[in-house]
Amino acid sequence: MTATWVGVLAGYLHLLAVATYVGGSIAMEVVLSPAQKFIPPAQAQVVAQRSADRFLVLVWSSLALFPISGLLLFFSQSDQSVGLFTTGLGRTLFTMMMLWVVLVINGAVITFVLRPRLANRAKSQGGAAAVAQRLETMQRAATQISWVTRVDLLIALFIVLLGASMAYGKGLL
Amino acid sequence: MRVALGYLATVGWSVYLGGAIAMELVWRPVQPDLPPAQTGVVCQRMGQRYRWVALGGLGLLAASWGAATGGRLELAAGVGGGGATAGGWGDVLLVLCWAALVGLVLLMGLLVHPISHRRGPAGASDAVLAASRRGRLRAIRIMNVLLRAELALALLTTLLLAVPGGPGLGRG
Repeated sequence: MTATWVGVLAGYLHLLAVATYVGGSIAMEVVLSPAQKFIPPAQAQVVAQRSADRFLVLVWSSLALFPISGLLLFFSQSDQSVGLFTTGLGRTLFTMMMLWVVLVINGAVITFVLRPRLANRAKSQGGAAAVAQRLETMQRAATQISWVTRVDLLIALFIVLLGASMAYGKGLL
Repeated sequence: MRVALGYLATVGWSVYLGGAIAMELVWRPVQPDLPPAQTGVVCQRMGQRYRWVALGGLGLLAASWGAATGGRLELAAGVGGGGATAGGWGDVLLVLCWAALVGLVLLMGLLVHPISHRRGPAGASDAVLAASRRGRLRAIRIMNVLLRAELALALLTTLLLAVPGGPGLGRG
């Protein structure tokens, strides 16, 4: 009975985390970003910055929930003796964990490297050349964030495929 | 085939639920940081896109769930027994929740949200403009209630989908 409830709770949290990460990323990319083009650039930047700050909280929460709920789900619903490299389920699980690590690294790069470069504007000093250089750095950081986010979305969609292959089959690999 | 359908159902539900969560927890709290006129513009554009994204997600869930369960939904037989499991009350509840969510998205996307952005005609009298403004404010209040109801219902539906052996696609 306890195992059943652990399974239900884990499944619920896992689906919630997947939806928040994948669906949230799609909504940010397809719904929020295009709408910003219809307001002045300064306001669009405010929207982008505030919404990204909030969305990153959701992203990190989801990334934290994935392994906890995923492993609980795995062990509550499958044979405990599944080998990590000797069975399809094990290899699929291992690949998912490796891809999760990639998502965490990319998330850390966005949060701690690229986004601080975007926030550099307030500190800009040293004349027109320095301001132009900072602007260029900011634009490059914005482009890089955009690309890393898209790559993350593709990776997440592949992880969902791997997860579906475990939930509804015997693993993909 | 079952894996592909399970994948599509998960992606469809994720698109819908993730979008609803992002709207509630990301976009709504950002609104006070913008001037009302700019909020109106962004909100209107987002609403126009979001309703299609949400309906697309719900449509994908319905198509893949329907294909995977292959007509498992036998309402009369299901209501008679089976509890909240595949083929029982669970199926009925899931379909009712899905229909209610589609209804809420359509109600908000096609009726309430457009009203919340409707302006009075240019050159209209003060009384007409005031009435138009009252209508907009009422529509915004209704939207706030409907959005929260939608999110609560979506979270309940997620629970139904997560129950092992429940109305979701089940386990392989």
